[in-house]
Amino acid sequence: MSPRPGFVLEVDRSTPPTLFWHGEGFHLERLPVGSRVIYPPEPLPALTDPDAAIADALEHPLGDTPPLRALLRGGMKLTIAFDDVSLPLPPMRAPDVRQRVIEAVLDLAAEAGVDDVVLVAALALHRRMTDDELRHALGERIFNAFAPHDLLTQHDAEDPDNLVHLGLTDEGEDVELNRRAVESDLLVYVNINLVAMDGGHKSVATGLSSYKSLRHHHNVRTMEHSRSFMDRHHSELHTSNWRMGKLIAEAGVKVFQIETTLNSNTFPEQFGFLQHREWEWTWKDRAGFAASSKALERTPPELARRIFHSIRSPHQLTSVQAGEVGPVHDRTLEHVHRQQLVTVEGQTDVLTMGLPFISPYNVNSIMNPILVACLGLGYFFNLYRGRPLVREGGVVIMSHPTPWAFHPVHHPSYVDFFEQVLSETTDLHEIEAKYENAFATDPWYVHLYRTSYAYHGVHPFYMWYWCAHALSHVSKVIVVGGDRAAVRRLGFSPATTLADALEMAEDVVGRDPSITHLHAPPLLIADVQ
Amino acid sequence: MDFLLRSPTRPGGIEPAPSEKGTGVDYATAWARRYPVRLARAMILDDLTVPAVQALARPHILGRDALERLDGPVIVTANHASHLDTAVLLAALPASRRHRTVVAAAADYFFDRHWKSVLSAFWLGAIPMERLKVNRRSAEVAASLIEEGWSLVIFPEGGRSPDGWGQEFKGGAAYLAKRCGVPVVPVHLRGTRAVLPKSSRGRPVRLRPGRVEVRFGHPMRPSQGEDARRFSARLEAAVAVLADEAETDWWSARLRASRDETPAIRGPETSPWRRAWELAESADPARRRRRTGSRHEGRTDWEASPPPRWPRNGH
Amino acid sequence: MRALVFERQLARFAASRVAADLAGSGRGVAVGPLELGEIEAPDLPGAGFVRVAPRLAGICGSDLATLDGRSSRYFEHIVSFPFIPGHEIVGDVEGGALDGQRVVVEPVLGCEARGLAPPCPACAAGNRGRCERIAFGRLAPGLQTGYCTDTGGGWSQSLVAHESQLHPVPDRFSDEAAVMIEPTACAVHAAFQGSAGGRRVLVLGAGTLGLCTIAALRQYSLPGVLVAVAKHPEQRRLARELGADHVVEPAEIVRAARRLTGSLALTGRGGALERVTGGMDVVFDCVGSADSLAGALSVVRPGGEIVLVGMPGPVKVDLAPLWQREVMLKGAYAYGTEETPSGPASTFDLARDLVDACDLGQLVSARYPLERYEEAIGHAAAAGRRGGVKIVFDLRRRPRRGRGVGTDDKETP
Repeated sequence: MSPRPGFVLEVDRSTPPTLFWHGEGFHLERLPVGSRVIYPPEPLPALTDPDAAIADALEHPLGDTPPLRALLRGGMKLTIAFDDVSLPLPPMRAPDVRQRVIEAVLDLAAEAGVDDVVLVAALALHRRMTDDELRHALGERIFNAFAPHDLLTQHDAEDPDNLVHLGLTDEGEDVELNRRAVESDLLVYVNINLVAMDGGHKSVATGLSSYKSLRHHHNVRTMEHSRSFMDRHHSELHTSNWRMGKLIAEAGVKVFQIETTLNSNTFPEQFGFLQHREWEWTWKDRAGFAASSKALERTPPELARRIFHSIRSPHQLTSVQAGEVGPVHDRTLEHVHRQQLVTVEGQTDVLTMGLPFISPYNVNSIMNPILVACLGLGYFFNLYRGRPLVREGGVVIMSHPTPWAFHPVHHPSYVDFFEQVLSETTDLHEIEAKYENAFATDPWYVHLYRTSYAYHGVHPFYMWYWCAHALSHVSKVIVVGGDRAAVRRLGFSPATTLADALEMAEDVVGRDPSITHLHAPPLLIADVQ
Repeated sequence: MDFLLRSPTRPGGIEPAPSEKGTGVDYATAWARRYPVRLARAMILDDLTVPAVQALARPHILGRDALERLDGPVIVTANHASHLDTAVLLAALPASRRHRTVVAAAADYFFDRHWKSVLSAFWLGAIPMERLKVNRRSAEVAASLIEEGWSLVIFPEGGRSPDGWGQEFKGGAAYLAKRCGVPVVPVHLRGTRAVLPKSSRGRPVRLRPGRVEVRFGHPMRPSQGEDARRFSARLEAAVAVLADEAETDWWSARLRASRDETPAIRGPETSPWRRAWELAESADPARRRRRTGSRHEGRTDWEASPPPRWPRNGH
Repeated sequence: MRALVFERQLARFAASRVAADLAGSGRGVAVGPLELGEIEAPDLPGAGFVRVAPRLAGICGSDLATLDGRSSRYFEHIVSFPFIPGHEIVGDVEGGALDGQRVVVEPVLGCEARGLAPPCPACAAGNRGRCERIAFGRLAPGLQTGYCTDTGGGWSQSLVAHESQLHPVPDRFSDEAAVMIEPTACAVHAAFQGSAGGRRVLVLGAGTLGLCTIAALRQYSLPGVLVAVAKHPEQRRLARELGADHVVEPAEIVRAARRLTGSLALTGRGGALERVTGGMDVVFDCVGSADSLAGALSVVRPGGEIVLVGMPGPVKVDLAPLWQREVMLKGAYAYGTEETPSGPASTFDLARDLVDACDLGQLVSARYPLERYEEAIGHAAAAGRRGGVKIVFDLRRRPRRGRGVGTDDKETP
């Protein structure tokens, strides 16, 4: 049976309750009759022979570039950059796509006798990856061949010796990149396009750049004008990255881009109910839901977190394309849209969403309140093309426990942002003007970012900016089942149940509002007509 | 009275008498070959070390019959990549020989402290050996033991390989074989590094149970007029053939050996990553298959490359 | 007259100590050496002394420590038993030149009150708090009114005080505002003890003393950044209102100090911060416990200053950081004469102005009659948690409603 496309369900009296993610757990909620539920398309079939597909993509690149084999020669300087631990979500079962692709690249490099090869994790301002995470992403072989010789590196956006300023774009944006990448004869970027935001020129221009460069597109103004940042042709974020990409190419940095797309087979068998449609739940799905939600009620949060973060997703490769950035990314987007696009008629007054336990920035970590806001108002809100799912002045209702908890190693600046900045103001422009610079240059955060496993000091600001479009668009945000103090600190309204939240929403949008539920993950993009 | 209760202090200007507890090459291991100690070691070897090796490394032993046919002392030489090698090799020896075998161990590593010396001598029956050169004293000790009927395990590379590839064989084993007139059995060990790697750059080492192969070669003696250096090179070549056999099969290895095409165990002289890459290539048979399945023949111009066997995606 | 008397009874000291340890501060009163009774008003000890009839008398942290049996044995020689506690006093003068006037008592019993001439060097210089002769002269030993058997104390209907101790209160002051002048004077003195001008300053503790110190610093020292540590919501509100730039929770001190000074830090297991490597220039410890002192040491910068404002007892503190970071630890007790930019000024005058400027009378949260002293002391010990700051005894003949601003009248009968 070929996978069915996504669709919009209208809730009637015989519709079973709808699954809502709730952090490390899930609820079944009855939505009012007449509400709409947007279901993602079913997982696309995987490539039958991924290794052959990869070899083929390297052999037949898109755009104006010879195949990788012809670009490799003895004595050259080759750098292979790859996406970091923030992709894919949840981390995929071994072998990871990056391992498959980089092994293929290295095989060609070995054949060609390329001695000088360095791998770079394109962290941007994310935390460094642990050895275990690198092992998982790249596989044992690559790790063992490169790590002992210090040839497996992680981009350090705070190392002045290893950054090169390439110049200014037409709009006066600084472009500062990883020195090794710039000085290589060839830079191969291995990307995973889980959502439409990833990839393209953003891979290199963001992943291998510095704060000096990032601040030109990671700011409130850009984010307010990225509508949405999942739609690159209407995203100021991407436009800026594309300008930078142009400059990078003009500066003579030769990039060979390899982009991959995955299907939406997100959760393992035993969690099948998470990606089946409720009226099609088999007895196994129902038993699985009952057993896991019962068990989770009795599980301490710390343990539940550990269990959920040990989930390895059965994602499979649906396409791989290599070559010149532009044509490669266009092809990639076709594949992402093929998997994720759902047509939705018209906007809604109230948008509900269940937020899962994971966001790009808390892999093997704690989803702190700032990340909850970012996942809901940054990522999920922006999963649209055309117009936002919720109308201007509408209400967003998110379900997540939103604990007042922070990972002390991964998110040190987040705690301070939450304690100091958000307690003073939640206003984006004020925050940006008053606090960003102090956090971005704080030597302690810089130290932790470089030597420990901490996100950069400025990163919580970006998470907050990510919400910019949503915050200026909706008139109220309600969090169901969250820590009340933490939710208030974010400037949102806490509610105990979904019914309460809908009541509260009516105060804003009027009686009998239209309600739409985003049934994700698995992820989807709403094509709002 | 206080004086009687404490160890006396030494007056200034008096030199301390030299300690009798020698370490390094000077450590005397004779005690470890006395009967009660041997008995205890045999028990530990058979009841602890061998089962542990079985559980951890599930050794697959090939060609041991060559060794079983020999009487009298032999010198066993093997490539060296892991601390596990000694235990695996001892476990692979026939039981009767295992109990009458000493192991040449690096004096600067296993005998640098008194407690380490005691432990090495007792547990492995180790004797201290200088790594890089033939030391008169350690050679004397080893030679006299061989003459007494003890077999000797020695790793002629002089230490564990830093990257998994073999290193040059030092001359010690060949010298002893010539001097004592005993045969040398070349052995190739495969997979021990995967179970217990050498730690690199302070990364913690993890024990990963796996499967190792122990390949015994035919016993070798120095030929007429062959000096120790030549004989040592021949031993290295013999281990290389065994290594080749482990990668391919016995026949291919023989053919290649006869054509003088056996790949060197020291690996290609390229950059570190490519050495590691080549090594991993050979260590993972599944990977080898995968790669040959998708490899394009020859290195032609890209436009002239053969059509893909796999349909292009997205058309 | 009616008074609360503190007797020297070792068994009851011990009992109150145990009760305080088990049930919490303030719970030892019922079994402790404090008793309500009808006693003779003290005699006038000599020339210059007058009677004062208290209107309001505050319950101070040092009183609570004494009642809990936690105070240091250091004080044994400079108090005399039995005594009537209470040194935060506003009352009416009976007799003498100030007859009929409303005054605040400056409780320190220095050379002048003790009839010692010539005065000791400290008294001569106007720093009565540092008087060397508080155990000598015509009065029994006693560092302050409220600890001396001859003078009586505020928790009664009448006490005696030397005219040099009296500060008339302007009419516009409510009794509540007036009773705050004495604790505020301690805070003002503390503010002048630390060199806080233009520097990064942390105030630990947001009880009466902490809040007044914040106000005093803001008014007289002009610190660069003033950070307050407060546990309870009402304390946080007041701290911010009185001039703290940042208010943080006790658990956040190290993080806040690091963040606000841009310092590096040393982390323990799991990434939790243990101490900052730089830190605050001056820390005012308005708690005086082992924990607060250790906290102060963990956030003060090398070469910085810690001013001990709250009364400490015997505490066990690791002084390694004090030594290695060359930190100056300084006490701040009572009052005297302060060097202001416009010349020397009496601490009490400065305190009076500050109470006026910042409306510190609002800190008086509840008034109790003497009869309900157990309740009053229990409330004082839990003031922060119960949303209060300063608890006072009301000794006025009849309750005067409406004179205090923002005070809580329900506690009065």
